Amino acid sequence: MYLLDTLVFMGIFALLSMSLNVEYGYTGLGNFGKVAFFMAGAYAYAVTAALGWPVYLSLVMAALIAGALGAVVSLPALRLREDYLAIVTLSFGEILRIFVKAEQWLAGGVWGKTVPSAFAGLGLSPKTMAWANVLLVWAILAGVFLFLHLLMNTPYGRVLRGIREDDVAVQVLGKSLVSYKAQALMVGSAIAGVAGGLFAQYIRFIDPYMFLPLVTFLVWVMLILGGPANHWGALIGALIVEFFNRGSRIVKDYIALPFDPHNVQFVLFGLLIIFLLLYRPYGLFREKPMRTGAEVEVSKWQSSP
Amino acid sequence: MIDTGQILVNSLVTSSLYLLAGTGLTLTYGLSRFPNFAYAEFITIGAYCGLFFLAKPGGFFLLALVLGFLIAALVGASSYSLVFRPLVERKTSLIHLMVASIALGYVLRHSIGEGWGWATKSYQLMWPVYNIGHVRITLLWIILIATAVLAAVVLHFFLTRTRTGKAIRAIASNPDLASVTGINKQRVILLTWSFGAGLAAMAGVFRAADTRLSPMLGWDILLPIFAITMLGGIGSFYGLIVAALILGLAENFGVVLLSGIGLSTEYRMAIAFLILIGVLVIRPKGLAR
Repeated sequence: MYLLDTLVFMGIFALLSMSLNVEYGYTGLGNFGKVAFFMAGAYAYAVTAALGWPVYLSLVMAALIAGALGAVVSLPALRLREDYLAIVTLSFGEILRIFVKAEQWLAGGVWGKTVPSAFAGLGLSPKTMAWANVLLVWAILAGVFLFLHLLMNTPYGRVLRGIREDDVAVQVLGKSLVSYKAQALMVGSAIAGVAGGLFAQYIRFIDPYMFLPLVTFLVWVMLILGGPANHWGALIGALIVEFFNRGSRIVKDYIALPFDPHNVQFVLFGLLIIFLLLYRPYGLFREKPMRTGAEVEVSKWQSSP
Repeated sequence: MIDTGQILVNSLVTSSLYLLAGTGLTLTYGLSRFPNFAYAEFITIGAYCGLFFLAKPGGFFLLALVLGFLIAALVGASSYSLVFRPLVERKTSLIHLMVASIALGYVLRHSIGEGWGWATKSYQLMWPVYNIGHVRITLLWIILIATAVLAAVVLHFFLTRTRTGKAIRAIASNPDLASVTGINKQRVILLTWSFGAGLAAMAGVFRAADTRLSPMLGWDILLPIFAITMLGGIGSFYGLIVAALILGLAENFGVVLLSGIGLSTEYRMAIAFLILIGVLVIRPKGLAR
């Protein structure tokens, strides 16, 4: 069961890490409030599922609400330098938590809210249920992976990379920076929202204290370690970090240590990030060159005698 | 009944705390051109240094302030020279600098959590309370306001009358020109980082004395501090003073207003957030520039 549980969490965090990859890895936008959009998705799922909506509709709602918030919240900062966006998104993470805590009618405030499982009423054993969750999460992850992989190799994806590399050049080509940036944040936040929905239905109870800024930091560790602008990097980074994150909890439960492994883990993650930024800012996997139609043509020319 | 006098005093207390806490952030932000999110932990460090003297009754508050200042100044200086200066020299992007500062924040915060635990603690201090008419004020608040005013006056003369102070303003407004005129940039930046962290730590001691300590102490007031940094204009000390006064008033009158219309007073933080968004939409440069 531990293994299945870990697999579900790995899948959820891989979704988050890939969503940050759209924003930061490809478009160069620093979203420091990832947890807010994760939380928005989780609560959107919880509220709609409690109303009796089917699973897929609740997940769509989670994506829509989180995506809309992603675009709206960042709008005031998109015309400005990257640090303004960082401060706004980070602050929004705090504000959304306060909002959910204060508005008890919405979702139970600090007492949290129970969420119906996606597989409730099917009479599954706990073991089968865990497998069903693994399949659900990883199927969605596979879909998102494929979608993003294709998206980033379209002209649209090239515009996003262009914004990261040279926003003036993109403007000269007549593309609206603000519109593209908002779209990137919308896509990223929508994916984070789906992850939140999956999280809520899996653990079946959510409260505001599950959505601390810690989550945002973990996602950044995943992406920086794995390698920004590389989907495999985002995926592998999430697997490695979540492996240690789970591991430290198990160690905490079963082995008496003179220190708290949870604290030590975050100190080490922090040091790891600083070390990586100093000596290996591109992470484990480097960004691959873009595949375009032109490239295929060139390779034909080069191989023909 | 709404007592305007009391709200004004409360506002002044809030403003003084934010001013002390924000000074270092805005100055280092102006000099190094990136926001240091680990700044929250400089505040927390100060609060926990205070515990050395104030964990038992009969401690000296002044000693807590001094020790907090010194330790945080050391942490501030070493975090600049060990983490941020090497990154800046490698021409690291702005986002990476911010990520590094968040990472440093986690290193410091969880070190504090490991050392003192995550449970809330409090100083063993009792403050005499004075009643002036309807208005209630504690000795702690008087010391806090006096410290903030003193810091503002000292900093004003420092920034306008001394070579180093002028150098700080010169680098903030035009780094290249400042270098050309022979200012030792690194020395000035290092000094500002340590001095700013020291002031933040003093704010942490005051905050801990007024409420309680937890490793999240600094993080919890980071949002209002960023709000006044933006409102005042990044790097501007005078803008910060005005912004701290505005936010202090807005928060304390806002809280009364909130409970008046039946909303949770937890939304106190949302006031800072609204001001932050308002600044970005209307005047991203802030008040002072």
